Amino acid sequence: MRAKTISLVLFIIFLIFSCRNASRKSGEFVLTNADSLNNSNNSAAEAVEEIYRNFSSPMEIANLFQALGVPFSSDFLALSLYAKEQTTSFEKALYLGILGADLGYLNMYEKTGTSIELVSSIKKLAEGLKVGQFFDFEAIKRLSLSRSNLDSLLFLSLNSYRQINKYLRENNRSQLSSLMIVGAWIEAQFFAAQVIKEYPENSLRDRIGEQKIVVNDLIKIISPYCKMDEQFRELCGYFRDISAKYENVKITYTQGTPESTEKDGGLVVTQTESSMVEMTDEQLAAIIDITGKVRNKLIKVN
Amino acid sequence: MKKYLLGFLLLLPVTDLLSGQAPNDPLMSKCLLSAGSTAKYLKDLRIQLGQAASESEFRYKENMSLWKNTIYRFTICTADDSKGQLIMNIMDETNKIILSSIDKNTGTIYPFVDLVCNKSGIYQIYFDFTEQQAGSGVTIVSMIQ
Repeated sequence: MRAKTISLVLFIIFLIFSCRNASRKSGEFVLTNADSLNNSNNSAAEAVEEIYRNFSSPMEIANLFQALGVPFSSDFLALSLYAKEQTTSFEKALYLGILGADLGYLNMYEKTGTSIELVSSIKKLAEGLKVGQFFDFEAIKRLSLSRSNLDSLLFLSLNSYRQINKYLRENNRSQLSSLMIVGAWIEAQFFAAQVIKEYPENSLRDRIGEQKIVVNDLIKIISPYCKMDEQFRELCGYFRDISAKYENVKITYTQGTPESTEKDGGLVVTQTESSMVEMTDEQLAAIIDITGKVRNKLIKVN
Repeated sequence: MKKYLLGFLLLLPVTDLLSGQAPNDPLMSKCLLSAGSTAKYLKDLRIQLGQAASESEFRYKENMSLWKNTIYRFTICTADDSKGQLIMNIMDETNKIILSSIDKNTGTIYPFVDLVCNKSGIYQIYFDFTEQQAGSGVTIVSMIQ
């Protein structure tokens, strides 16, 4: 009797653990292979990996908005994507990036209670790409609804995206990882382009101009796929158009030695050297214009 | 015996709930807390190194773009079972050292470093443990205003 009870209990424990882990272990997932590429794309995966590490989070632009006292606006969000059904892996990955930037923006402004609908859309997209296992949706929802522990929410959201990117790269799906990065970037750039119309602050102007550093990298990560299909061909064209608008924007640097002071037990280092952006009003207007056009074409509005 | 097993079974849903909390890594949680309430999480870097065979440069490197008009906080946390303490250097694209979390003159190791960034670009972040000993640790990169 005793042995039977122990066996039963152990069997139940086994069942519970095996069910619990089923959705977390990436190794157990079987891909449909529809969007897997062969190993010849390893170098492209490495390029994406390097650029992804360098890539700044869309939350950094939201942080700048907050520093400038810019209020939150839901007008910038890609609301049209929330309930939309995506058919291709291209769209799913691109929109996953775009909505990731939206989530970062909402989280930074602590509009977490309103992000539930967005989180559900992200869940759908991630599951469509068979990467839903990297999102702890329940924890994200719980933290969003409780409106507490912002750092944990930011950690969970960003970490989920990071794991998805890594997983896609490691499974010969770097083209999807590239699309997520491109999507997040265009959305963050769109936010900046909208905000500067009402808040023509120099720091924001500089941030838009400095994206010249990033645009070339973005082209680098999508260029291996430009001939893959019509959607990639179009996307490459859009980014060539954006790059053309940045052609005559110049970034210059001044030299200096960093200054250090101690504060609250830590060290504060202030850079005295700086970067400066040389960009005319016309160049800025052209960048704002092309950003809006490309972003809206990608989410298929207007 | 049956009682203990039943108790264990009843505890399972509780541990499941706890595992849903973010983040699960105790060192990461501790480090996130150390970053301070005004810091907004951006990235975490996990470092694990063995004892170096011979003296060399800092052994772990990450690249990261840092943007002008942003104050970045690097909170550096060493796991308790590490032999050395985690230290960090940041260099710019010209390999010039911008900051170090260790003051070589006094031996002071700072638990966090704030960088008031005035030059946008890609920076190289180097890590090692003091005297290149074995250890593991986490660095949280966050933004402060």
